[in-house]
Amino acid sequence: MSTSGPGIFLDGQTSARQAVHVAVDDTGLVARGEEGQIVVRWRFDAVQRLPAPPGLLRFAHRDHGVPARLEIRDAALTAVIDAIIAPAGRPGDGRHRRAALFGILAVVVMLGGTLAALPTIADGLSSLLPSAADQKLGEVIDHQVRSMLERSPSAQPAECGTAAGEKSGRAALDTLVDRLAAAAGLPVSVAVVRRDDANALALPGGRIYVFQGLIGRAETPDELAAVIAHEIGHVAHRDGTRSVVRAAGLSFVFGVALGDFVGGSAVIIAARTLLQSAYSREVETAADAYSVALMRRLGGNARALAGILERVSNGIEPAMKILIDHPETRIRVAAIEATAGPPGGTALLGAAEWTMLKRICSGSKVEP
Amino acid sequence: MSAVEQIASIPDSADRGGVRFLSEAGPFWRLLIRGTGLVLVTLGVYRFWLVTDIRRFLWGHTEIAGDVIEYLGTARELLFGFLMAIAVMAPIDVAFVLAALDLGRLGRICGVLGLVMLLVLGQFAVYRARRYRLTRTLFRGLKFYQTGSSWRYAASAVLWWTLIVLTLGLAYPWARASLERYKMHHTFYGDLQGRFDGSGTRLFIRGFPLWLLIVAPTLASLMVTVHAVDWAGVAETVNHGDGDVLGGIEGANPGFAAAILSVLLAATWAVVAAAILYPAFQALVLRWWLSGLRFGAIAATSRLRAGSLYSVYTRFLGQALVLAFVIGIMAAVLFFLIKVVSQAFGLGETAETLATVTAFALYVVAALGYSTLYQVGVRLRLWRLGLESVELVGLGALNGVKAAEQTSSALGEGLADALHVGGY
Repeated sequence: MSTSGPGIFLDGQTSARQAVHVAVDDTGLVARGEEGQIVVRWRFDAVQRLPAPPGLLRFAHRDHGVPARLEIRDAALTAVIDAIIAPAGRPGDGRHRRAALFGILAVVVMLGGTLAALPTIADGLSSLLPSAADQKLGEVIDHQVRSMLERSPSAQPAECGTAAGEKSGRAALDTLVDRLAAAAGLPVSVAVVRRDDANALALPGGRIYVFQGLIGRAETPDELAAVIAHEIGHVAHRDGTRSVVRAAGLSFVFGVALGDFVGGSAVIIAARTLLQSAYSREVETAADAYSVALMRRLGGNARALAGILERVSNGIEPAMKILIDHPETRIRVAAIEATAGPPGGTALLGAAEWTMLKRICSGSKVEP
Repeated sequence: MSAVEQIASIPDSADRGGVRFLSEAGPFWRLLIRGTGLVLVTLGVYRFWLVTDIRRFLWGHTEIAGDVIEYLGTARELLFGFLMAIAVMAPIDVAFVLAALDLGRLGRICGVLGLVMLLVLGQFAVYRARRYRLTRTLFRGLKFYQTGSSWRYAASAVLWWTLIVLTLGLAYPWARASLERYKMHHTFYGDLQGRFDGSGTRLFIRGFPLWLLIVAPTLASLMVTVHAVDWAGVAETVNHGDGDVLGGIEGANPGFAAAILSVLLAATWAVVAAAILYPAFQALVLRWWLSGLRFGAIAATSRLRAGSLYSVYTRFLGQALVLAFVIGIMAAVLFFLIKVVSQAFGLGETAETLATVTAFALYVVAALGYSTLYQVGVRLRLWRLGLESVELVGLGALNGVKAAEQTSSALGEGLADALHVGGY
């Protein structure tokens, strides 16, 4: 068994390859030059075996300031050294397991941190934006919403309350909205549009759209008022602007920080959607609470929101609860009823005015 | 003869030498499959380790004139570089948000500024990332390094790319030559300075026929259309004609429809021809680039053939088709099973959820499968083909090179990662 053989020493200071004779003893590797002088003596405990293609042994010294290398290609000597110093780690060894664990931990911390801190940071950023930003953003969205609504096939204008027969309904609505706006201390403007869905939406800056379908399904003026109050809540909380800033924050975290890898985009989009729905549910709950408080301040029926929510949802719950952006109706109703106080209150609109309001989308035809 | 003997048999004093890649694809497959799996479960965080492993593999099996090079970079450096990059990117992202909110003039300024910053930063990152990789490349005990100003490179790269777009690609050869000259002039191996001898004009002469084949039909048909059609009349018809606008245009301009059709056909031709000719173009540019590399007296020449690139891409297409077929069968079986099970047990909404999750999982498997296939089938094989086509002369200079190195942070790599302009 040979314990010595030819090798090449690279001193890390010049590119010259120095032919050496490498001998293995109990303590380490000794490389000698052509005249027998010792070039390096590397002890095993300070020697690092580097990854190299089969047939090549490559060593570094841990404490060397320069990247000096000792290379051995002699098969017999290689076999001897193999028995002393194990080949360098391959992918999948401890280093990789640690890295993977660290990665998973980083993801958990990042998702948790994002979930917890992003709303705060985003809200801080939004509060720095002037309310003119809300107005501006609202105008841009309003433009898009209007062009979408006006695409309806009906010959009538998309907005109700303009025809002669609708004017009294519009006046009744104005009375209701004025009371809500005064109590909220916010300049809001409400438009009713000819859409069958029982829905309403608020834009940043105070524009609120109520769909005809919602007025049709509302049984009392307080139910309609409670929905409008919910939308005023969105305006008061600046939810539109906040959600834009939050969405931007989410795309930063998930678009830039995580996932620059092929096929990852689907995973990233899924994670982002989950977080976004969670934020959205939070925002809806806050708007519900606002509605309840506003209705109580006006002396109306604070439970009315729960009533219309139950009627509109009709007991249907969606299948993938984690993906929906509103909390479950059951939970919303429970929360409303817990804070709404005793039932009752005086209706915010008289019976005659309510009847007129219900006809706000009747067109020019006069009821018999 | 084994690789060991081949390595040992190269005499020290040889003036000529080649480059070889010392591994088959097998170990690379294993590395990639394990790595992409981990990248997936860590939502991408593991990519710094995977990139480091890939480079370690590619570098560590590349033998230049008898010596195997070594990659010294670590995943931790890449991670820190990336975190630094995030700190740089955050204000730019805020600028984009302000622009998206459409805050009047301020918003528009932020938007334009953000876009310009991104373009410049992308090129800045390319140069810095190159510096990082060079300072982490060890050959015969010495490192490479790069000097020069990243900002200057970024500015000239952005200007050149603007010119390339404006000239429909005709400026590419000179742009590439100029940028490579800058890069190589500032690249050092120890105290040996690099330079780039490739000529933009020569690349232009070689590449012009390809450009002509792709772009000329579209240009010609566009020009014919512009001349043949009475555009004022068309505008008139579009503005005032009621109802049948196209009919009106055709009536006033016989041949209008034919002209538009010819433009569309020519554009389709351009896309198809570009796809077919891409490997030839890539081989041409790669051969030209490799043959222009110099370090002191050391010169490289490349004999890369377009045919070998075509075989790389055909094989990749074949493998991709097989993968598509396999995934298709998997999808059919899985969805059939879900249907049967949900009918048997009366699962309504749960089955829907199950189907969504399955579709999602299949998409992820397909995407990761293709990326792995591409890494092995195209990137590794191109790396190998490019390297092994190289012949080096003047290697005698290697006996006296002295160390003279600078280190570099991984900020450039981080930026490149954040901006999706990363290379190897």
